[in-house]
Amino acid sequence: MIALNRSSAVTWAVGYVLLGLAALAAFAVPLWYAWSVTIFDGRAAILEDDAQRLTEVFHHGGVQGLTAYINARVGMQIAGERTLLLTDERYRHLAGNLAAWPREITGASGANAIMVDLAGQPTHTQLVQTTLPGGYHLLVGRDLSRFLPLERRFTYGLISAVTFLFLVGVTGAILIRRELLARVTGIRQTVAAIMQGDLRHRLPIRRTNDELDTLSQTINGMLDHIEHLIGGISNVSNSIAHDLRTPLAELRSRLEELTLTRPAPAQTFAEVDAAVADVDRVIRIFNALLRLAEIDTGARRSGFVRVDASQVAAEVVEFYEPAAEQKGVAFSFASEGVAAVAGDPVLLAQALSNLIDNSLKCVAEHGAISVHVGHRADGAVEIAVADDGPGITEADRPRATERFFRGDTSRGTPGVGLGLAIVDAVAKLHGGALQLLDNHPGLRAQMVLPVTATRTSR
Amino acid sequence: MKILVVEDNARVARFVTQGLREAGHTVDHADNGRDGMFSAASEPYDVIVMDRMLPGNIDGLGIIEALRKAGNRTPILILSALAAVDERIRGLRAGGDDYLTKPFAFGELLARVDALGRRSLGQDAERALQVADLRMDLLTRKVTRGSRVIALQPREFKLLEYLMRHANQVVTRTMLLEGVWDYNFDPQTNVVDVHISKLRQKIEHDTERPLVRTVRNAGYMMCEHDRA
Repeated sequence: MIALNRSSAVTWAVGYVLLGLAALAAFAVPLWYAWSVTIFDGRAAILEDDAQRLTEVFHHGGVQGLTAYINARVGMQIAGERTLLLTDERYRHLAGNLAAWPREITGASGANAIMVDLAGQPTHTQLVQTTLPGGYHLLVGRDLSRFLPLERRFTYGLISAVTFLFLVGVTGAILIRRELLARVTGIRQTVAAIMQGDLRHRLPIRRTNDELDTLSQTINGMLDHIEHLIGGISNVSNSIAHDLRTPLAELRSRLEELTLTRPAPAQTFAEVDAAVADVDRVIRIFNALLRLAEIDTGARRSGFVRVDASQVAAEVVEFYEPAAEQKGVAFSFASEGVAAVAGDPVLLAQALSNLIDNSLKCVAEHGAISVHVGHRADGAVEIAVADDGPGITEADRPRATERFFRGDTSRGTPGVGLGLAIVDAVAKLHGGALQLLDNHPGLRAQMVLPVTATRTSR
Repeated sequence: MKILVVEDNARVARFVTQGLREAGHTVDHADNGRDGMFSAASEPYDVIVMDRMLPGNIDGLGIIEALRKAGNRTPILILSALAAVDERIRGLRAGGDDYLTKPFAFGELLARVDALGRRSLGQDAERALQVADLRMDLLTRKVTRGSRVIALQPREFKLLEYLMRHANQVVTRTMLLEGVWDYNFDPQTNVVDVHISKLRQKIEHDTERPLVRTVRNAGYMMCEHDRA
């Protein structure tokens, strides 16, 4: 409870209780005022009317008449309803149910509310006094005690309303605070666990779709992405450790052998050239990895423009035509006209170039490669490269896009095993996917780019 | 040409300055940003080779921006280990004319320095290119060798134009990829070589003198004279 005064829930609850009290006061104060002033004044007017009537009786019948009238009324009425007193000029009792003139009432006339002794009972009474001709004094009153229960009930009602408000406020504050604290603590613990390095943790989701839930879902989405990126990085680190060692080991042994054997200059320079080629290979792997990392971060998405995939494909096909021709491969290209996507033209060109490159390496002489750009039934743009080469076995297909993975059929061909990984990354960057299918025989690799991506086009 | 090399890594600097001197250039070297800035601003150079990350309170891009602001138009080749596309764009935006990432082959550096140096001589408003008896009319897009008319595909035309504009200089495969196809990636297969050999078949008939020479470990060179 140290954090009580700092808890936002408690602050809110206190605020709402104060607001409730203010509303209650705004309701009760005018009511109380109306009750005590308006009704008191109204009753005073009634009592004055009564006194007026008695004065008329006095004018008609004199002191005897009024005394008889008062005695008759006192004898008839329900006890305590009317308080009447008629005295002479020295305030001596002549008639009425009040034993003596109350000391509190002096002066000429007016309304008072005082305690009087009525038949031995102290009673709260509202009194109006009148002076009659001849010095006689008349007191007309009304017992107020019958309003006491009403006033009491009003007061009790007010008190219980305040108490109720207070209790609800406090309970609400405690409950909200406990609830909020529990969830915030849950989030804090999860985040702490993640900061410790275990990225698999996720914030609890209640499926209530309230604000905290939405926030948690967003944060979880962010964590998914971070985990994916971190996974990519560690994947790459492992791959680097594993796959860069091989060419580096070759390079090292080549150079060490040179220093040991010290061959003739011609052979030495041939070896140095080979060493430079080894280094170039390592650099190529590095460049491909850096390119992959660059694509994976999604940073290139900011440079997306409206691209006609058909045109990009036509240019890449034209670029590869002489190479295919040289190998005697039948190379065909078909497109269904403009296929607009939002994307990076250079990356799309590179991805398609990688696919054609792969096919060119795999197909036999006089094989066939066809490139096709078109729309799918759902409107997505499809860029497909199909060949009649050895293809990728069913078992290898899921792993084919992994970094540095090389299937049995590609062993012995040049390459570092990053081509399809780059194509996959490019397809994902564009919100699409790379699909590897059986071409019976051969491989059909197709990039499917959704049209929804064109929403971001400029 | 007179070339300034601003590079703090002693080994790389020695490699570059020696290579450029052997290629017949006059080379000055600065190993920090302050000296580099001073030399670049006070002496006329044909080309500046500029590293990006430098000691001496001012980095490569800072020097380039300052020079450009002062109206200095010397061609600058940026040499950097920062290889991402964004970094490249930043370098060129700052006022660099070309961008080469480390590690690099010396042939590539030399070819690009030569290309930049040639650019500074100024030869923009040309209407025709001529190398030996090969002539390219840039307006009618007609290519002739002697009296023989050569029919070229648009891309072949662009490739030949690039080679002719850089006649007697080495052009690397990367330069061709960037300059002719606008691709900044490295195709695995020897696609560029095949394009060149196809072009050779068109411009070098059996009886004619070969014009495009293959330079080992570097690229190609279109030669005006037989043994350049």
